[in-house]
Amino acid sequence: MNSSLNFLAGILSTALLAPSVAGFPQGQNNQSALAKQSSIIFSGTVSQLGAVSFVGVPQSSQTIVVRVDSVLKKPPAVSLKKGDNITVEVKDPSTFQQGAQATFYAEGWIFGSGVAVKELGHDFNPGAGAPAESAPTGETALGRMQKQISDQDLQNRIAASDLVVIGRVTDVHRWTIPKSAAARYPISEHSADWHEAVLQIKTILKGTKPKGGKMAVRFPLSRDVAWVNSPKFQKQQQGIFFLKRDQVSGDPTATLGGYQVAAYTCLKPGDWLPLSDEARVRSLLKK
Amino acid sequence: MKALTAFWMRLLAFTLLVVIAGILLIERGSPPKTAMGGDGLPSAGTLSPVYAAPLQVKLVDLIPASLSGETNQDSEPFLAVQAANPQVMVASAFTPNPVSSSSNAPVYVSQDGGNTWVLNAITPVPRMTCDITHAMPTGENHPRGDLHAGTLACAASITLDESESNDVSSGAVMNVQSTRSNVDQPFVRALAISNSDHIYVGINDFNQPNGHTATVDVSVDGGVTYKSFSIEARNTAGQDGPSVRPAVAPDNTVYAAFFGWRKFNGTTATSDVVVVRDDAGGTGPNPFQALRDPSDKLPGRLVVKGASIPWSNGPALGQERIGSTLSIAVDPNNSSTVYVGWADHGRKGDIYTLHVRRSTDRGVTWSKADLPQTTIGNATNIALAVANNGVVGLLYQQLSAGRWVTHVVQSHDGFATAQDLILANVPADTPVQQFLPYLGDYDYLLSVGNEFRGVFCSNNSPELANFPQGVTYQRAADFSIKTLTDGSGNRVAVSIDPFYFSVPVIP
Repeated sequence: MNSSLNFLAGILSTALLAPSVAGFPQGQNNQSALAKQSSIIFSGTVSQLGAVSFVGVPQSSQTIVVRVDSVLKKPPAVSLKKGDNITVEVKDPSTFQQGAQATFYAEGWIFGSGVAVKELGHDFNPGAGAPAESAPTGETALGRMQKQISDQDLQNRIAASDLVVIGRVTDVHRWTIPKSAAARYPISEHSADWHEAVLQIKTILKGTKPKGGKMAVRFPLSRDVAWVNSPKFQKQQQGIFFLKRDQVSGDPTATLGGYQVAAYTCLKPGDWLPLSDEARVRSLLKK
Repeated sequence: MKALTAFWMRLLAFTLLVVIAGILLIERGSPPKTAMGGDGLPSAGTLSPVYAAPLQVKLVDLIPASLSGETNQDSEPFLAVQAANPQVMVASAFTPNPVSSSSNAPVYVSQDGGNTWVLNAITPVPRMTCDITHAMPTGENHPRGDLHAGTLACAASITLDESESNDVSSGAVMNVQSTRSNVDQPFVRALAISNSDHIYVGINDFNQPNGHTATVDVSVDGGVTYKSFSIEARNTAGQDGPSVRPAVAPDNTVYAAFFGWRKFNGTTATSDVVVVRDDAGGTGPNPFQALRDPSDKLPGRLVVKGASIPWSNGPALGQERIGSTLSIAVDPNNSSTVYVGWADHGRKGDIYTLHVRRSTDRGVTWSKADLPQTTIGNATNIALAVANNGVVGLLYQQLSAGRWVTHVVQSHDGFATAQDLILANVPADTPVQQFLPYLGDYDYLLSVGNEFRGVFCSNNSPELANFPQGVTYQRAADFSIKTLTDGSGNRVAVSIDPFYFSVPVIP
């Protein structure tokens, strides 16, 4: 929670303190893209040039050590806090001097006794001191920025789907590839353990409604590392399904009510969303 | 007299100076210890040659301090030790990229003999590998290379990459040299011969015709080119078992062991344990056909026929799945001596039973029964290695009284007598499985000078009683209250971590 607040506050302060970048729509777009791309965002003070902060990081003229003043965004697993020294591999070391204060947009690089990151971008902080720790008036705007990032991901998912369906699972059964199919089914610890969910379609949000209002959706029930994050369906489960024509299981067709129909798959985390996301999905479909 | 006194005073002062400098150097080279017990190896770069005698057992949790907040199931470990400089090592596990789902999957890198490790995202696979094994033979003479890896990418289809890195400390992503899909469980062994890396990748290759899927990919040019050889000569149940394990001796003898599946009913594989051999590094006209079984004259010696091997892709042994644990090791100084170990449903009442057999005539004949003390119930993740002095090492993990107990056993007489060290003894029901495998479909052991080095995975609860030989954590842990923290004082849940160990080879 604190991390999120810090993130919002940090983006805000960067926007306030660096009007040349963030004061215009183009700047906001750049910042939004950088924020999306960055796994770690922090504000800090450059303490050493051409140096590294811990053993195991290759030292070069591009590496600088920065004392962290404020952590704006980081994954929960990463230990990084105010006062830590972090190694940054910067794009252009000539732009940095000792004592310079900047907000760094970065991706993770090496994790050891400390953290090393690669710079994706930076904004120099013109004023002294760290970004403001809280800025309630700007949180709404920055919340919008995060929502935009999340919406963009969802829009990409919609675009990549053959069908987007609101429906309810009426049956789940194990599915094995028919002997007539061309593909073989090797036995492996990574075997998907394919199951088929029969989906009663309530609404089609994208694509053409299949005949009969039902469709077959294949998903891996396996708990193997290869498939554990795929959605697993149960009878009566409702929601929004982002589906692709089956190009994975080995047979692109299914038998439903005695008819042969196209089979679909639902494989990636996020390919199923609860009904509470319906309005959001509908609004994105209109864009 | 005065001159003599002055001489002794100077000598005393000099000696003290050397001792203090030595202590400072050792302190600087060691990670901060959060638990005491086993002491660390002296750093080769500071005090001793690279094959320094280990003082005692070393056990290190690989998770770095800067990832103290992680709670992943970092299972299925592997280890590569650089042949030219064993201070450089690479370890791996099902550790996801800690910051991004689209960035590369990482490996752990040590440059100080395993005292400290960093996580470096250099594999060619996004986020997390499905399987990964590797070796560092350094035939190409790169100081922090040459890492050769076989990785599986978890995507809609599973893809094998055979790749290399010339500097594992850099951020450069490994160079993919060969790639194909529809294969399983790559297992990499390698050896440097005449300034070239000879690489042997055991894989279960479903592209092979007639269900002869047990395969060894061979490269004798550092991975620039690979040739695939099916090593199965008999009828199968449509395919062989997942584990195909090569073992390489410096005299260019290459063995490989695999499970020749003859029947499969979904829950049990009726399998032969087969060993093949090649005397020319896999480069001759009929690779891996040096051994033939007297029963059918076909290539591949049947060490055991018709073993009943339980297959479960769900929890079966505690929270772990079972079905394909296999290991083979050759004496580096006498390639006639070779050991093979596997698990099957061997004893009534056991879920999974380990066995070890030995051949002393290049795989032509094998011990008719298990070697003494090597029929081990309810155990998995067998890994064998042979040290320079002929001592055989055996690593395994046994489910005993609701706990996972990790053993490393050594013997100089085919297990007639043995030293058995317990490295970890941890609760088997904690943490709850996130996915399978829980600990791994394999762990790993190899010999380096006068050490056995290896990796295994375990519950990471910071309790000294769980690690009888002592342990060092890099991640934040308070052993006094048996608690992991995120480095800022917040509690972190117990999870599965990879552990590196070094054990001195017995005389």
